Amino acid sequence: MSGAAPHIEPAMLAEAAEDLGGSSRSGWFIEGARQALSGPMFVVAVSLLSVGGLARDAGFSVEVAVASTILLWAGPAQVLFFGAVAAKTSWPVIALTISLSSVRFVPMVVSLLPMLRTKRTGLPTLLLAAHCIAVTVWAEGMRRIPLVPRDGRMAFFFGFAFICFLGTSISTAVGFLLIGELPRPLAAGLLFMTPIYFVATLTRNAKKPIDHWALVLGLAVAPLTEAFAPRGLDLMVLGLTAGTGAWLIQRVLDARARA
Amino acid sequence: MNEALDHGLWPWLVLILFGFLPSEIWRMLSVVLARGIDESSPWLAWVRAVATALLAGVVGKLLLSPNGALATLPLWGRVGPLAVGMIAFFLLRRSLFAAIVAGEAAIIAVGYWAG
Repeated sequence: MSGAAPHIEPAMLAEAAEDLGGSSRSGWFIEGARQALSGPMFVVAVSLLSVGGLARDAGFSVEVAVASTILLWAGPAQVLFFGAVAAKTSWPVIALTISLSSVRFVPMVVSLLPMLRTKRTGLPTLLLAAHCIAVTVWAEGMRRIPLVPRDGRMAFFFGFAFICFLGTSISTAVGFLLIGELPRPLAAGLLFMTPIYFVATLTRNAKKPIDHWALVLGLAVAPLTEAFAPRGLDLMVLGLTAGTGAWLIQRVLDARARA
Repeated sequence: MNEALDHGLWPWLVLILFGFLPSEIWRMLSVVLARGIDESSPWLAWVRAVATALLAGVVGKLLLSPNGALATLPLWGRVGPLAVGMIAFFLLRRSLFAAIVAGEAAIIAVGYWAG
């Protein structure tokens, strides 16, 4: 995983594409796959290991566990789903909880799709691309996609996402088969992968004060919404308040710079 | 555990009806919402900030109300390793790899020591 923090220069990418036969789509697909393999895939894969274990505890087969990774493509929603089924929660309540937790994809899809599409991109491609967007792919995409020429972006993105799907499908199955066997501290280490990876990635992605403030305010508001916001809506309340706060701070800073 | 899950198509149906569809509807809706938005739209700065804050919120939630093996550690044992990881991140020239290795080493150590 020595390439976990690659320094990507646009020139390097152009060179890579040339090696693969000009700026061809398949060249960019492979480049996306390569970049996912250089680190991000392993992180999502590890974070999905525990989902396999949860699915087994809830009484599902390994096939359904893997399908949940491909179809839901959302670690937290899968945790909610299998946890709720194991607790014998009623089906409408499960559906509602899952739906509320996935509202968070709206700002991610809305901010990433305009970077990916061209004027010719069709609806099926957009829907498939939207399906591939989850937190890791979004965070990595926001940083990597601007470095890819517009015509290669969708291919690059699908290459990147494809490898992430492949790695997580394997790790969901592996988790299903062996997570119960792990010593507790190692199991805790696996679950900790997501928090440390997200915070480090977001910090590395941050360029302007708004990015830093969104991260800091988001972490700071978390204990408040956890305690006071209605269950299920807490993340949405947090995102809107902390995100708007960061945006307002940036506006004040911009106004001062202009004055 | 759930007897109904032992049979045939039922688990698949459950996954699609109560897992996949309620979740996917937001991604589909977002495709429509993103339609009129240009990459350089100032409105996107706000959407991006909300998405970033949401992700930070997911982290906060994972650490504040953890499940599984993480729940067996005290709060300081979950927040401390995050701080250790981030200190390593900044000390080693913003290295994601350093953050993960240091954070993981810290939480596994806490697990063996205090868990």
